[in-house]
Amino acid sequence: MTAVGFVSYAGELSGMPPAEALRRAHEVLEYCGLGEARYRNVETYSTGMKQRIKLAQALVHGPKLLLLDEPTNGLDPRGREEMLDLVRSVSHGRGVNVIVSSHLLPDIERVCDRVIVVIKGKLRTAGTIKDLKKLAGQPADVELREPNVAFANMLMEKGLTVTPPKGNIYRVQSELPPEELLRVVQRTALESGAQVRGFETAVRTLEEVFLEALTA
Amino acid sequence: MSNIKPIADLSYRNYDGPLKKPGSRWWVIAKNGIRIALKKMALWGLMFVSAWYYLVMLVVLFFVQQITSSNPAGAQAMKAFMERLVWPDQFLHGFSYAQLPMLIIALMLGAGSIANDNRANAMLVYLSKPCDKREYLFGKWIGIALPILVIMVVPTIIFYAYGALTFREYGFLKDAWLLPKMLVIIPIAAIFHASIVVGISSMFNQARNASATYAGIYFITNFFTLLMGGIWASSRGETPFPVKHLFYASIDGVLIGACKAIIGTKGSAPFGIQSQGGMSQVPAPAVVPILGVALLISVVFVLIAWRKIRAVEVIG
Repeated sequence: MTAVGFVSYAGELSGMPPAEALRRAHEVLEYCGLGEARYRNVETYSTGMKQRIKLAQALVHGPKLLLLDEPTNGLDPRGREEMLDLVRSVSHGRGVNVIVSSHLLPDIERVCDRVIVVIKGKLRTAGTIKDLKKLAGQPADVELREPNVAFANMLMEKGLTVTPPKGNIYRVQSELPPEELLRVVQRTALESGAQVRGFETAVRTLEEVFLEALTA
Repeated sequence: MSNIKPIADLSYRNYDGPLKKPGSRWWVIAKNGIRIALKKMALWGLMFVSAWYYLVMLVVLFFVQQITSSNPAGAQAMKAFMERLVWPDQFLHGFSYAQLPMLIIALMLGAGSIANDNRANAMLVYLSKPCDKREYLFGKWIGIALPILVIMVVPTIIFYAYGALTFREYGFLKDAWLLPKMLVIIPIAAIFHASIVVGISSMFNQARNASATYAGIYFITNFFTLLMGGIWASSRGETPFPVKHLFYASIDGVLIGACKAIIGTKGSAPFGIQSQGGMSQVPAPAVVPILGVALLISVVFVLIAWRKIRAVEVIG
C-alpha cells in the first residue's frame, strides 16, 4: 500500500469521508516530511520513515489528544532529532495535546512540559519538568577555575552550606534569594582569590527525579 | 538563494471537517481488502477458472443446439442429449468444480488479511481508531466473503438465465426453486471459506504460512474424501454405513454435501456423460447435520480469530 493510501485509509477508519481523508493524507504526509515519498510503498520505507508515517496516520483526523509510545524507537540520531522536532511542533500551539510514553528521559525533557511518572499502574509523581527539577532551598552550583578550600571555608563561615565539590563545582545552599547569594559568592571569591567560572541555580536531572519517584 | 521556502503553507493545520460516528468502520476495512484484491491480476484469471464448468457447458449447449437445429435428424439427437442431462446436477458440478479455484481465491483474499497486520504490528493502528475488535474482524471477514460470493453467484446466474431462456421445453424450469436453492448454498460456501481463512490467518504473522496451513488442511482432507469415494465407487454403493458419510469429511466435501442436500440431488456424471456408480453419485447427506457441521466449523474458526486478535501483545 502506498503511504498516501495508508494514511487516507487511517483517516477513513477514524470516520473521515473518503475525499476528505485523501486530501488530508497529502497534507499530513507533507507536514511529516514524507511529501516526496508519499506514492512509495510503505513496505519499502526505512524505520525512520515508518515512525513518521505512524505519526501521520495518527494526525490525519486532527485528534485533540495524541498518545505516542516510544516515538523515537529505532531512529538514528538525525531521525530522532527530526521526530522530536515534529512532536514538539505538533504539541505546541497547534491545539493537540500530546502524551509521550518513553524511557528516554532526554527526549521527554526536550519535547514535554509536564511529566507523569507511573510505576506498575500507580501514579508516583507528576508536575511540570521545571518544578520537578527544582531542589529544595534553591541551592546554586558555583564553578571555579580550580578547587579552592579557602573559598569553601569562607562561605561556611558566612553561614552557607557547601557540599564537597564535584570536580570544580561547589553546591552552595542558603536562605538568601539567588541575586543576593550571587553577590555573596562574588565577594567571597574576591576575598579568597578564587576564579568563578560559572554560577547557576542547581537543579536535579530528570533521571534523578525518576529515580527518586522509583524508590519513594 | 539560501532562503528558498515553499509557496504552500506546509505547517500543521487541524482538521475540523465531518467525522462519521463509529459503527460503520467494518465497511472501510472490507472495502480496502476488496480494493487490494481487485488489483491482483491473478484474481481476475481465477474468476474465469472458477466458472470453467459453466463456461464449458454454455459452449457445449450452444453448439449442440446449433448443430442439431441445422440437421433434420437433430431434434432426436438433441432430445437424447437433453434427457441425459440432469439440470440441478449441472449446478452441482458448477459449484463443485469451483471449489479448488475458490480455495486459491480465498487464500489470495484472506491468507494475509490478519497475518500481514500481525506482522506489521498494525493491530494497534486499527484498534486505536474508533474501530473495535468486532468491527475489525467483521470487516476482514466481509472483505473475503463478499468477493467469493460475487465470483460464485455471477456465473451461476448467467448459466441459469441461459438455461431458463433456451431450454424450458427440456425441463430446465422443472424445479422452480433451483435458483433460490443455489442462492442459499453459495453464501454458505462463501461464509465457510471466509471463516476458515480468517481464523487461520489470525494464527500467523506471515501470509505464506497461513496459505500453506489452509492448503494443507484442504488437500489432506480431500485425499481422505477421494479415498472414501473410491471405496464407495468400487463397491457399487454397498459399503458399510460410515463410508458414504465420511466422503463429506473435507473442506470440499462439506460444501458439496450441503449443495447436494439443499438442491436435492445425489449427483450424476458431468457433461451429461452416461455413467453408473461414479464417485460423484455418492448419496446426499441429510440437510440439517451437514449444514450444522458447516456452521460449526465456521464458528470455530471465527472464534479462533476473535481470540487471536489483540491490540496489545501480552508477553509472559
